[in-house]
Amino acid sequence: MRYILERILLTIPTLLAMSVFVFLLIRLVPGDPVQTMLGFRATPQNVATIRHQLHLDEPLITQYREWLSGLLHGDLGRDYVSHAPLSELLRSAIPVTLELTLLSMGLALVAGVPLGVLGAQGPGLARRLTDGFVIGGVSVPDFWLGTLLVLLFSATLVWLPPSGYTPFTADPLANLRYMILPVTTLAIGEAAYISRTTRGSMEEALGAPFVTFLRAKGLPERSIVYRHALRNASVPIVTVAGIQFGVLLGGAIVIETLFGLPGVGRLTVTAINQRNYTVVQGAVLVIATLFIVVNLLTDLLYGWLDPRISAGGER
Amino acid sequence: MTAVAIVAPVRRRLTGRAAVGAGILAVLVVLAVLAPVIAPHDPNAIDPSRVLAGPDASHPFGSDALGRDVFSRVLFAYRVSLGVAVGSVLVAMAVGVPLGLLAGFYGGALDSLIMRPVDLLLALPALLLALSLITIIGPGSGVVLFAIAVIYLPILARVVRGSVLGVVGEAYVIGARARGVSPFGCMVRHVLPNSLGPAVVQASVLMGFAIQIEAALSFLGLGVQPPTPSLGLMLADGYQVLQQAPWADIFPGLAIAIAVLGFVLVGDGLRAHFDPHGVSR
Amino acid sequence: MTAPLLALDGVSVDYGLVSAVSDVSLEVSEGEIFGLVGESGCGKTTLALAVMGLLPRSAQVRGRIGFQGDDLLTLTEAGRRRLRGDRISMVFQDPEAALDPAFAVGEQVAETIRAHRPVSGREARKRATQLLTEVGIPAAAERYGDPPHRLSGGMQQRVVIATALANEPALLVADEPTTALDVTIQAQILALIRELRDRHRTTVILIAHDLGVVAQLCDRAGVLYAGQLVEVAPVERIFDAPEHPYTKALLAALPTRATGRGALPVAGGGVPDLADPPPGCRFAPRCPVRMDACERVPAFTSRAAGHATACWHVEAERAA
Repeated sequence: MRYILERILLTIPTLLAMSVFVFLLIRLVPGDPVQTMLGFRATPQNVATIRHQLHLDEPLITQYREWLSGLLHGDLGRDYVSHAPLSELLRSAIPVTLELTLLSMGLALVAGVPLGVLGAQGPGLARRLTDGFVIGGVSVPDFWLGTLLVLLFSATLVWLPPSGYTPFTADPLANLRYMILPVTTLAIGEAAYISRTTRGSMEEALGAPFVTFLRAKGLPERSIVYRHALRNASVPIVTVAGIQFGVLLGGAIVIETLFGLPGVGRLTVTAINQRNYTVVQGAVLVIATLFIVVNLLTDLLYGWLDPRISAGGER
Repeated sequence: MTAVAIVAPVRRRLTGRAAVGAGILAVLVVLAVLAPVIAPHDPNAIDPSRVLAGPDASHPFGSDALGRDVFSRVLFAYRVSLGVAVGSVLVAMAVGVPLGLLAGFYGGALDSLIMRPVDLLLALPALLLALSLITIIGPGSGVVLFAIAVIYLPILARVVRGSVLGVVGEAYVIGARARGVSPFGCMVRHVLPNSLGPAVVQASVLMGFAIQIEAALSFLGLGVQPPTPSLGLMLADGYQVLQQAPWADIFPGLAIAIAVLGFVLVGDGLRAHFDPHGVSR
Repeated sequence: MTAPLLALDGVSVDYGLVSAVSDVSLEVSEGEIFGLVGESGCGKTTLALAVMGLLPRSAQVRGRIGFQGDDLLTLTEAGRRRLRGDRISMVFQDPEAALDPAFAVGEQVAETIRAHRPVSGREARKRATQLLTEVGIPAAAERYGDPPHRLSGGMQQRVVIATALANEPALLVADEPTTALDVTIQAQILALIRELRDRHRTTVILIAHDLGVVAQLCDRAGVLYAGQLVEVAPVERIFDAPEHPYTKALLAALPTRATGRGALPVAGGGVPDLADPPPGCRFAPRCPVRMDACERVPAFTSRAAGHATACWHVEAERAA
């Protein structure tokens, strides 16, 4: 219990620091950000109004306070190009990104963990194949893999659409059709990492002293590998999955752009290209928060998986 | 003494993997450096008669949407990609290694002082951090190099700090202090050479990933800007004409994968020698 | 006389060139506590693992290990697995290393039961709790769910013993069960083993390098040196009337009141290199009474009932 609270409390300074960074994003841009943002729409009145709204003329601390309090009330600001409130933009974009990343991570775990277990204790051929898969998966850029999949499944065999999106709530089947390629693309690269980690930590777990005692108890090999060794090996796997989630979020940015998925990632890229700074700020904030929250959840998960960690002991 | 200590054992016991990786990299570096000499065509030469033409004897990788020779472009693009990858990691090491060294060696308050801000950099996913910096500074290969260096700095600092913590308790360090060697001397002559192993392993792998990050950023249009050729940009262009000219997409991507493979293999091989217990990663 | 529960006949274990155990033959009767003594590296653990069938695949085992009529060495791995934890159990030296850190202690006992008996989860749990109480863990029901690191070394070893005895095995092999524990706890654990033997008529093979432990607990004892069995006798005779020079040296090295503050006698020389052991008796190079005959492996000769020694010198003395 205390472990949980501890972990949650430790996350707060990280969130704050991150918010400061994101906050400074607009203010560090050389020149007048508002001018650049509005581009040809900039008139002296517009610029002045918006500068006032953003409190850009006030001391930095005040600006931060205003912004932060706005955040905590659910007001992330507005998109000054399309005049839409950011919270609206983000509300429709976040589920897309979440679906993409969660499905990809899920698929990667489902494929990667068994592959890793196989690599740890299977026949030599399986070991070499998983090795090859890992090296290949790590080296190949995920978005290139995406283009190859599109080449195969959309251009050549016209089975799947190369881009587009329908929300799950609107039409689940169509949603899945659109998501298969992007999710697979991200999952393959991810699965390579996960299987590599799984294999390493499984090899370690299977070499641990308690395994000899498990054998002495006459437990079937299957139980030793899947119940005991895997459970003990799971902490590094979860660690890597947590870290990789960050990489996955980064990858999602590119994949969303490639496949035309209206997620937060694509929003960020478009906004940067358009110099739409407030949108960039909001999108970066969301992605970063997501990342920090996932890390927190990962931490909490360890505590459950390895009771020694939540007791404050070393592993 | 330092350089020999690191290089000599490597030459003696290069594992199969590392040798293959090193071989690949050597070839790529040669190709990149000699690109102006080797390239059969000017990478920027637009040739309307060869728009989207397939691979043939004089254009082994085919031509892109503007009739430019893909092979030549790949060669020149390697210069940028390899340069950014290696450069960014070297910069990250130049800053990260001393920081990690100081933090690990002195420990205590200095450790917290250094590692807290460093760790904050880890709170953002890598690509996001890069994008943030690009937002502020604007796109370009220089920014990409800087951004990647910033991303990798904390990782390398952490790795060095970790191995320093291990080395600091070793007998020869304590012995050196007992002989009256100054702390700075200790750090540089005794602790540093023996802590670099895992960092070098990590650096090698990070160089591979740096290529991927640069390619991703360029793919998004936020990295290397045209007309400078970049593998990522080529992929973006190639994707536009995927169906008509798949070679414009396949070869640049393959080029990236091979380069990353080289770095990863070298890193894996080095790890077997330097860091068998997995301090890094 | 009833057949022995466990009969080793000419058992040898090699790891490539290293001869870890050489031609060991001994018998253990049902219900007795048999001590296997020797210094580190003499092959006692290897022998124990051979009986359990837990040697690594690289080990070559020869001879016969008879257990309740069957030769354990001819069994398939599946056959051996069925015996382990059910008819033959083992307790290891380091309890913390034996328990899976990610699982509750009670669960680890229960799963041993479930592996060999067709019982429901609830029944197994109930039986496991009973066992925990039996081995002396207070408030067993509450501690059932504790992970191993929450228990002290002594408690952990009790859990390991509970696991080993869960299915009422005929034979328990205890490999230095108290070496890793505090002296005060040692006595408790040893008493526990004796109590359990008395109650369940389990046969126990106790491996130890500490003669004091053997004296406290065992009925009979065998002395191993460099993989060879040199002497077997009831415990009192080992202490009162040791025959083999190595056994005598071991006992002489025990500090007693008689030695006072003088130096403890040390047998000169060192343990032989098992990759290139001396032919014949392996203690010969260091033996104060070595003879030429010692280049051949001495045969076991018995003097009094149950006391056998492998030593040409002893045999020669007896003939005289």
